[in-house]
Formats: sequence, structure tokens, C-alpha cells
Amino acid sequence: MAAQTLAEAAVNEGNYAVAFPFFGAERRGAPVLAFTRIDSKKIFSKTQVYNPDCVVVLDDSLLDTIDVVSGLKPEGIAVINSKERPEDIDLGKIINTATVNAISIALEILKAPITNTAILGAFAKATGVVKIESLEESIKRKFGEKLGEKTGERNALAARTAYEKTIIGKSRGIKKLEARKQWLPTYQEMPVGGSLIEGKTDAGLIGPGSFIENKVSGWATYRPLRDREKCVMCLLCWFYCPEGTIHRISNRGDLMTNYDYCKGCGVCANECPVDAIKMVRARV
Amino acid sequence: MITIKELPDENLFTAGHTACPGCGVAMSIRNAIRVLGKDTAVYVPASCGVVFGTTFPYGAWKVPFFHTAFENTGACLTGMQAAFEKKGKKVTVVGFAGDGGTYDIGLQSMSGAAERNDDVLYICLDNEAYMNTGIQRSGGTPFGAWTTTTPVGKHIQGNRRFKKNLGDIVVAHEIPYYATLSIGQPLDFIRKVEKAKNIRGFRFLHMFTPCIPGWKMDPARTVEVTKRAVESGMWTLYEVENGEKRITYKPGKMKSVKDYLMMQGRFRHMSDEDINALQMWVCKKWNLHYKEKGSPDICEIAPPEEHHAVTEEHREMHGP
Repeated sequence: MAAQTLAEAAVNEGNYAVAFPFFGAERRGAPVLAFTRIDSKKIFSKTQVYNPDCVVVLDDSLLDTIDVVSGLKPEGIAVINSKERPEDIDLGKIINTATVNAISIALEILKAPITNTAILGAFAKATGVVKIESLEESIKRKFGEKLGEKTGERNALAARTAYEKTIIGKSRGIKKLEARKQWLPTYQEMPVGGSLIEGKTDAGLIGPGSFIENKVSGWATYRPLRDREKCVMCLLCWFYCPEGTIHRISNRGDLMTNYDYCKGCGVCANECPVDAIKMVRARV
Repeated sequence: MITIKELPDENLFTAGHTACPGCGVAMSIRNAIRVLGKDTAVYVPASCGVVFGTTFPYGAWKVPFFHTAFENTGACLTGMQAAFEKKGKKVTVVGFAGDGGTYDIGLQSMSGAAERNDDVLYICLDNEAYMNTGIQRSGGTPFGAWTTTTPVGKHIQGNRRFKKNLGDIVVAHEIPYYATLSIGQPLDFIRKVEKAKNIRGFRFLHMFTPCIPGWKMDPARTVEVTKRAVESGMWTLYEVENGEKRITYKPGKMKSVKDYLMMQGRFRHMSDEDINALQMWVCKKWNLHYKEKGSPDICEIAPPEEHHAVTEEHREMHGP
């Protein structure tokens, strides 16, 4: 939606633009991609963008696992949703970088961790490809049409706030990000019928129960905090947790939460009969 | 009967799976497998359950797991059970199919297994649409609900058909055990899964599992919404054992269905006329299940309570 809104703003300024998403899993939390091409001439290329002039990162936890700037042109710019300043961000090479704390802006103005409109404001500031005024216009129209006028205006305000708060600088280039290892068996090693038994490879566990190595804490905007004094050990949170992050310590009669697997849904806090659990911001 | 405290702590469906935050299916699967224990073999047809539970070569299951096509849950369970029997192993063979894989696509296969009365446990995770492929209408979608194939337009708003009565279709096969479950009633949930585990023959558990993106709701309210569904009569908790029906939980006073609907974005467009039509359907269902013989029909709709769960802000944020 943000990619389309941006394209629309560019078109309104008299340019040509195309926007399209990368087709992937229809599920929350999965990393997704969307592309926008803007030109003053007619655009004939319909492929994905491999060497962009600008990369927009909506979630800075991706920086730890994916080399987001690998295809970026040397004179290009990376726009990142982060609370850090550009010089504190390590992208593996020194490159033009703009940062904005879009999640705080979104929580403040939209009351929800939806950052796509705010980050558009940062994009306008960092690149100057579109004017913030035309961006506001197209956000108001596009979001207002679908979600009501008030929401449209609030999203436009989020973009404007982000535009004003964006910091532009250079990133650091110290860390070497290794590509994530994958288990790539040869055809002889491939099990018959795709059946798998528990195993360990260079790339980590495979087979039954191997999802335990998949840390999903990056999904969470909030995380639960339990008040031990108030807790009556009814175990409802343990029962309801869809992730299995809450463990019982049987010999002490206590509970323990493993935040590595918490996605911050808030079911435990909502269902706690004595209100012993409250949700707090996960990464501030 | 097992209580919550007596359930084992071991995760047979491990953490780190990739379901959406607050997923009702993940919740139901976890707790069902907790009760069923490790002598279980699982079959899952094409559904969210297979996407978030196993992404080759990774998997969250710690019990034998099998997956092939969409429409053959019943047939696969039969085959697995036959193989275990031949090998002389005592294993609970259980299939977790979605509502699409049971109401529409897998109906013939399920019917075959039920007719043969094979010794398998069939679990239907009913989230009322094809959620895995991006929210398309299924036979289980209730009246008025928005899906991508029943969009909200000027003339027609949402699904025009009522939810299929799968319970009666399954019970008509004269199977030993059929029960409806909701994660909002934990003790009832555990008791029914345990009971189904210990009965021989074709057993069918029908679970009500909210879907956060498909129902367009707040992830923290997964359990709350199932409770409201039961209180309003949209979902009824009962079991049929050898043809004898027993209501396992009867809500006190019938709550207006509007309370339940307004928690979810998929119903928020509904006109008063449509809500009344759905309310009439619920009343009919309520009287069918809860009314005692000879007593008058109940359909007193109290004026809807002031509802705090969905604020104006929330509505704007998540759209109509």
C-alpha cells in the first residue's frame, strides 16, 4: 500500500510510476518486499528491482539477518526505521543513510505499530524524489478512501512528522554479514519421499522439532511482564500461549517466560484473571 | 479427568513456529497434542497448519508427521491407521484439517472414513474461511462475513449464505463420538480431547479457532472472542456419543449477537437488517440446542450493551 501511495504521489507530480509487491506468504510477520519505479519517461521494465537507488527498511531487526543494501547503488540511500542515528547503524559498508523512529511516531499518532505511512515521509526527506505535500495529498486520498477521512488525515500527519524528524548521515561499515547458511543436500543425500528424521547439519537442526532454533522475538512490538506477587498460578497463560513461551518450573511452582519465542500477541495479559500480566514495549 | 495442572509441560509442538501472533489454530493444536501425548501420529492437509508447523526441512512437530494433498485427510488417516495396526503399534492417528479441508474439499474423504468407522481421530479447525490462501469463503463462513470472494459492495455486502451445519452431517454417519470445542472453555476442551482419545472408532472433534488477519481483530482477544461466540449462540458446545446428544455448556442468558460481531472487522459493515437476519438464525440454533421440551421459544434480544472492546480509533485503524 505504501509503495502504491508513493507511486501515486509521483504520478500526481507528472512523472511515470509503477508499484507492485513481491508475491509471498499471506501471513503476518513474514518478511515481505514491495517495489516502486519512478521515472520522468514512460516505464517499460516490469521486473523486480535488483539495483535500487533507495532501499526502505520498515523493521530494523531485519538488519541482523539480511544484507539489505547488497543491491543498492553506491550513491544510493538507505532509509531505515530505527531509533538510532545513521552513524550508529552498521550496514556493512559506508553508505548514505537516513533514519527515523517511525514506530514511535506511528504509536503516538496512529495508536498502532503500523509504520508504512510514516516511513514515506522519511523517504521524501531523504531522496527528494517526491514533495511531502504531494505525498500527504495521496496518503489522504488513498487511505481516506479505504479507511475513512480521519484515518487518512492522521496517516498524512504521521508522514509529515517523520519528514521533520528524519536524520540523514552515513552508516558505519564494520560488520561482515554472512549469508544465512542453508541445508542444501545433494540428490543422493535427499531423503526418499521428502521424509526427514531429526538431524543436525552445518546449517542447524532439521526435521521434527527443529523450529526451536527459529527465534521469533523480532515480531513482537510488546512483551508481557508478570507480577509474581499478584500471580495465583492458575496456569491459564501457560495454557493459552499459542507459542509455548511460558514454561512451568515444577519444583518451585513458578512460571518462566522465554522471550525468544514471544510474538507479543497479548493473549496472556488479556486472559489473566487477576491482571498480573501487563504488556510493555519490547524494543524502545 | 485431567485438569490444566496435570497437563504435561513438554512441548510436542515446539516454539518457534511461524503462526501469526495470537493464532487460535496454534493454540488449539498445542493443547490437543498435549492431551493426546507422544504416542500420536499426525496428518495435516494443505492449510495454515502445514505452513506454520512445517517448512521443509524444518518442523515444529515432535511426533510423526505426514502431509500430502488437500482433499484426502480421511483416506490418509485410514491408511496410516492400517499401517500401524499391521505393525502392531498402538498409536492415536489424528488429522488436523481446516474448515475448507472438511466442509468443502475433504468432505467425501472424511465421509468415507466415517462410514467405514475407522479407528482414527479427525479434528476440524474451523476458522470460517480459507485463511491460508488469503481469506476466501468456505462452507463454514457465517452470514454477512467479509471475505475476498464475498466482498462488501453497494448491493451485496459480505457472504449471503449461512454456515453449513457440519455437525449434523458428521453425526448422520452414526459415528461413536462427535464433539464441538472452544479454546475459551479449557476444562471442557481437555475433557473432550481426552474422551475422544480413549474411544475406539471414528471420532470427530470440531474446534472453533479464531483467525487474527481473517477476522480482522486484535490478537489479544483470540480467547475472548471464542467465549463471546459461545455466549451469543454463534457456537454451541455439545457432544454426541453413539447418537445421544448432550449439551456440555449452556450459557446463562442469551447475549445479543451484535456484541460478538462488532469485535471483528469482517462483520463491521453489517446493516441492522443483516444483523437481524443473522440473529434469527442464531435464535433458531439456540432453540434447537438449548430449549427444553415444551418450553416456549427463546429469542429475546436485549438491547446491545455498550461495547468497550472496539473503540472508534480501533475501527478506523483496522478499517470496515
